[in-house]
Amino acid sequence: MVSVSELQEMYVDMVTARHYEERLQEEYLEGKQPAFDISAGPIPGELHLAAGHEAAAAGVCQHLRDDDAVTATHRPHHVAIAKGVDLERMTAEIFGRETGLGKGKGGHMHLFDPDVNFACSGIIAEGCPPAAGAGLAAKKRNTDSVAVAYLGEGAIDQGAFLESLNFAAVHDLPVVFVIEDNDWAISMPKDRVTDVENGAQRAGGFDMPGVRVDHDDAVAIYDAAKEAIGRARDRNGPTLIEVQVHRRMGHFMGDPESYRPEEDQEAAAERDSIARLEADLQSHGVDEETIEELRDDAHERVEDAIDFAKDQPEPDPSAAHEDMFVNPPSGVTDTEPEYDLAGGDD
Amino acid sequence: MAQKEHSKVIERELTMSRAMVEAIAHEMRENEEVFYMGEDVADYGGIFDSTQGLLDEFGYDRIMDVPISETAYLGAAVGAAQEGMRPIAELMFVDFFGVAMDQIYNQMAKNTYMSGGNVSVPLVLTAAVGGTYNDAAQHSQTLYGTFAHVPGLKVVVPSTAYDAKGLMHNAIRDDDPVMYMFHKRLMGIGWLPAPDGPKTPVPEEDYTIPFGSADVKREGDDVTIVTLGLHVHRALEAAESLADDGVSAEVVDLRSLVPLDTDTVVESVEKTGNLVVVDEDYRSFGVTGEIVASVAEENLGALDNVERLAIPDVPIPYSRPLENEVVPDVADIEAAVERTQ
Amino acid sequence: MSGDTDRVEVTVGEWPDDADSDEGVVVNWFTREGASVTEGESLCEVQIEKVSLDVLAPADGTLVEVVCGEDDEFARGDTLAWVSPA
Ligand SMILES: Cc1ncc(C[n+]2csc(CCOP(=O)(O)OP(=O)(O)O)c2C)c(N)n1
Ligand SMILES: [Mg+2]
Repeated sequence: MVSVSELQEMYVDMVTARHYEERLQEEYLEGKQPAFDISAGPIPGELHLAAGHEAAAAGVCQHLRDDDAVTATHRPHHVAIAKGVDLERMTAEIFGRETGLGKGKGGHMHLFDPDVNFACSGIIAEGCPPAAGAGLAAKKRNTDSVAVAYLGEGAIDQGAFLESLNFAAVHDLPVVFVIEDNDWAISMPKDRVTDVENGAQRAGGFDMPGVRVDHDDAVAIYDAAKEAIGRARDRNGPTLIEVQVHRRMGHFMGDPESYRPEEDQEAAAERDSIARLEADLQSHGVDEETIEELRDDAHERVEDAIDFAKDQPEPDPSAAHEDMFVNPPSGVTDTEPEYDLAGGDD
Repeated sequence: MAQKEHSKVIERELTMSRAMVEAIAHEMRENEEVFYMGEDVADYGGIFDSTQGLLDEFGYDRIMDVPISETAYLGAAVGAAQEGMRPIAELMFVDFFGVAMDQIYNQMAKNTYMSGGNVSVPLVLTAAVGGTYNDAAQHSQTLYGTFAHVPGLKVVVPSTAYDAKGLMHNAIRDDDPVMYMFHKRLMGIGWLPAPDGPKTPVPEEDYTIPFGSADVKREGDDVTIVTLGLHVHRALEAAESLADDGVSAEVVDLRSLVPLDTDTVVESVEKTGNLVVVDEDYRSFGVTGEIVASVAEENLGALDNVERLAIPDVPIPYSRPLENEVVPDVADIEAAVERTQ
Repeated sequence: MSGDTDRVEVTVGEWPDDADSDEGVVVNWFTREGASVTEGESLCEVQIEKVSLDVLAPADGTLVEVVCGEDDEFARGDTLAWVSPA
């Protein structure tokens, strides 16, 4: 059973993530109106926000430690927040600043925080193989760390995902694959690209447990993840979980969503996992005042991170040429030792 | 200057995306066997407008949304092409080639040769390329050299609407596999404003531009700037401002990398003596080195000075000042030209 | 606009219903001043809150004046150009 303090922690992660995305949306659109020019404004480039996905991050990451690996997708912020990624440096990265997680080189789809073992990638399903690799390392070193790979429901048709399922299954790796099903892959509805209604069914083909959570109910996700992550920690192999989430915004900022029926948009706005968790908190005896306080603190943390980021210097252009390798190009040594290779002959 | 050879005055101007789409629609009307596959090409009309409006006319059967399974659908396009159909398949960003590279490198490119010419692969693989809008390392590459390197693919890179249409007609009618790489910044999309230049007059009727015919987009005597894609327009802008300083630059738009029109390049260098190659791909083992080597092999003596501008062998960084540092701009081109004078 | 009543104005026909904004931007012109146009032909493309729309020629004739050039902002109902009917 989930404890009240855990419920509160998940709530904080979720309201932090929601507020974060709403504030980034505002910052992103600055300088992009009335003409939407993707390269203008304080945050240029693509921006994929995860409003409506928060429960999938909080419910799973609640069970993770810093040494557990997480790989996220092109829509990574909520997961990064729940995993405990440094919010200030992450925000600085999104604003392209020198003190960002990647010194402004990575951007919002390429966030790396080794302190909490977090990474993400903009290529669909590309987090799955590295997560399997983190699981493999844990197994070889005989630690009890686990790895979690996030992917969207649109990614379940990608080879990297399917191959990773098999690899993790056959080697009994401590990995949990989490599909965030928001019904859409950009403009493509799920039933246009797969005949499988429930992504967790993919597990069957690899003889791995597959679990589907039908609501973006943080507690239900917490329960499913608890079992899967416990299984992984106890060396009982991988699990595939699919959770229903909702896309409250466009695929990326600037997506006119002309393809999306209005009812679908409205339904996504209505089914709010945060409101649901608030109700859960209240039924566990947490009063409204406490909830409000948690929310206000979370919002303040977001504002602080954004203020911090905007205060940071932009990188010097010369930095573009740095960080290609960690060792010198010649490797660990500058010179080759001298041997007499003709030695044995005379 | 192919477009100037037309005697009829064309008043209508099109963006590059509309010109591409017009060619595709024309070929689809003429030939039932032509169809288009890609992610978000149906209702969305292509993230970069590459199929805008086609769904209405041709329906979901011929403008096919596909699962995010590039290996499957690019490989399927190879297979359908080998059956004699004429698929067009789209990689939404060329950067995603990695997940399906085997289908491209080992099948699409090689089946004709390995079969001793008995099998043909009439497939057009379209892909959006290029940076300049801070989309970072996995969404900003051009990878021209990667596709031109493997033998067996014709590689086409339009820089104007006029060229885009003529090259697309030729690509679809060609019985061989063609990589058609269109630069996002040139498409004329509202949210990604194009420079002046890619929007050109475009004839209503169909016409083909042969591959391997580089186009001298501006004539000059002092230096030859060889380039392609977005950088054609940056080179033209540089040439304009160099002219004010008394330097007369010739701008050669390659239009295709395979086949490569070495003759036009060499002829120009024989006239100017100076060669500046500008590329938006990585510097090493790529387009710039290839062009310089080709000219050197043909006529080493013609080369007084050589300059190369390209991405300096780093992944494309996200932050604005960093990306601006690595992608050659107009000032970089002017400076490179000045170094040859 | 000197009183030649037979000029027909070019405007955005139907403003998108889901747009909150009353402003748009001209993104691309496909026809230059002085060119002949056919009724229903795309004259230009505008962007209203990230949605792209084509603006069509209201009549056969000549595009005599472009009022809003590329990258210019305009408000709902503004005249973007004038066509002099054939
Ligand atoms: C290999 C690859 N193909 C295509 C894309 C382009 N792309 C980016 S996000 C996306 C849709 C992903 O949908 P889903 O996995 O459901 O995640 P969501 O965006 O809904 O969170 C696509 C096709 C990509 N990044 N990588
Ligand atoms: Mg999805």
